[in-house]
Amino acid sequence: MRTATLQKNDLDRVIDLLSQADYRVIAPQNQPRLDGPDSIDVAVFKEIQSGDSHNIGEGLSTTGIKPFLFPKDEPLFAYENRGKKVVLTEVSLDFPKTVILGVRPCDVASVSSLDAVFSDKNAGFNDELFTKRLEKTTFVSYSCTEPDVSCFCTSVGLAPDSDKGSDLHMTELPDGTLHVEVKTKAGEKIAAVIDALLSGDGDAVARQQAGVAAAEKITRLRDSAPILPWLQDLGNFGDEMWQRLGEKCLGCGACTFECPTCHCFDIVDENSGNKGYRVKFWDSCQFDHFTLHASGHNTRNSQFERYRNRFNCKFKIYEDVFGEKGCVGCGRCIRGCPVNLDITEYMAEVAHKAAIPNAMSADPDFE
Amino acid sequence: MPNIYQPNLMTIKKVINETPDTKTFHLVFQDEELQENFEFETGQFGEYSCFGAGESTFCIASSPTRKGHIECCFRKTGKVTNALFELSEGDTIGFRGPFGNTFPIEEWEGKNVIFVGGGIALPPLRSVIWNLLDLRDKYKDISIVYGARSVADLVYKQEIAEWEARDDVNMVKTVDPGGETDDWDGYVGFVPHILENDFKPDPENTVVVVCGPPIMIKFTFEALERLGFKQDQLITTLENRMKCGLGKCGRCNIGSTYVCIDGPVFKAAEIDLLPPEY
Repeated sequence: MRTATLQKNDLDRVIDLLSQADYRVIAPQNQPRLDGPDSIDVAVFKEIQSGDSHNIGEGLSTTGIKPFLFPKDEPLFAYENRGKKVVLTEVSLDFPKTVILGVRPCDVASVSSLDAVFSDKNAGFNDELFTKRLEKTTFVSYSCTEPDVSCFCTSVGLAPDSDKGSDLHMTELPDGTLHVEVKTKAGEKIAAVIDALLSGDGDAVARQQAGVAAAEKITRLRDSAPILPWLQDLGNFGDEMWQRLGEKCLGCGACTFECPTCHCFDIVDENSGNKGYRVKFWDSCQFDHFTLHASGHNTRNSQFERYRNRFNCKFKIYEDVFGEKGCVGCGRCIRGCPVNLDITEYMAEVAHKAAIPNAMSADPDFE
Repeated sequence: MPNIYQPNLMTIKKVINETPDTKTFHLVFQDEELQENFEFETGQFGEYSCFGAGESTFCIASSPTRKGHIECCFRKTGKVTNALFELSEGDTIGFRGPFGNTFPIEEWEGKNVIFVGGGIALPPLRSVIWNLLDLRDKYKDISIVYGARSVADLVYKQEIAEWEARDDVNMVKTVDPGGETDDWDGYVGFVPHILENDFKPDPENTVVVVCGPPIMIKFTFEALERLGFKQDQLITTLENRMKCGLGKCGRCNIGSTYVCIDGPVFKAAEIDLLPPEY
């Protein structure tokens, strides 16, 4: 498919042209973290209008793009109790044509993971609130050139310049120009809209070198190959590692809310008088009530068990059940953890244990 | 088409007070076409809702052989079940389902079948009990071992009497020590104990279907294995906490097994392959 060159300072024009073509444009923008003059700006993805400042290609966003496909909370339908009768009103599944601009490779790679959960690929049940949004969304990704210390995409089979899941992929070259690669039909439409800004065929060699150079900056390197077989050995479910490393987890759920692939949700009624909405909203497997039975029995009763479930979800359950990656190495769970619990420490321990069987035997007291 | 989370509306046709905190609802769909065409198999469950309070997961407690309505049976425990408990005949509830797998009743044809249940765990068994009794010729001896904390906590008292009166059902009932009344004519003792020491079933050509809290399932399986039962003769239905019932909300999993999709019915051999987290 087509490759071309785009000038980085034409990104503002890209936003203008896409907006004029009736796309809702989502892009990373700086916003103050707190109220007041001392606040530090953080990058978040949000809707952008022509003329707004943005930081596409600058730094890493604190939150990913998950809310634009799977919102933090959303009504499933409205209900109204009328005496003995109930009237239900459907919510609209008509979502705006959207382009997400400047999404990092790890985040765009996570979309197929969420799709494997919410689409009818999973047991035939199609959550159209997700899939109809996805149908309307085009992803313009942007290679990382400056991964940070928490990034570990190369340890999970991705790279700072991966284009998995992308419709149109951009890589910033050392000369400040962007190498553009059209990956899908949806990407072709974007290329057509911004055609006036594209020139030549790009520089495939420089793009390749930029990817290699970025990957070399990643310092957090783990071997994830032994993890799945190690987790599949049921004997390791009782390994002493889980309790030892998981002991400091507070169960705050920050990792799950920032994670691009975490998909757990709750369903509750938001009631007002005789009517309201049934609402689906983000939940976390790290919360103690998450698996609590009505009887009082809790299948994951202690925090380390809940963390063990999360690690298993990332490296085994996603693979077993959904056939997709559960972890894209974005590093947000490391950056966001208030007690520095580090998923890559577990990855390293597993690789170590897998390499030296019985090096640390299972805790005999574990049940 | 409504999205997959929007329930169908049902009318409560009848309310039965089973115990001071447990009720049975007889339910019919308000949509006539759906009422006509609705099908399920024994062992499946649904998501039942009281609008304004939320949704809860219960089995379908009636047998698919009995058309006309479906039944659910629930104990008031949390927000939703307390709200449902307040509803009366003619009121509307929401239902999503049927979900999950089913009891493999064809595999049991020509065999003795023993049902073992505790407390509020009788409703899932009751569906399959009536299913088998309505196809009585296909099965050999049918036994029911049921216990609760106290006489007052026994659900389906009327049906227990009905099963006791039948000569083609062996009904064994028990209550926990201290839960008996003066006129109690059943056993006194925990279900696994009564099963192992008093009922003592013969494993020959027999399957056992166990439903109850996880601790009861564990002790009952152990008791049955001491009696000579093999894992492939033992079946249970798990009742993990659920929200969606669709394999998406991430709550009911035991390792890579989703109870809502892969279950709720499991053979003991399948349970043995799961991490000890149920």
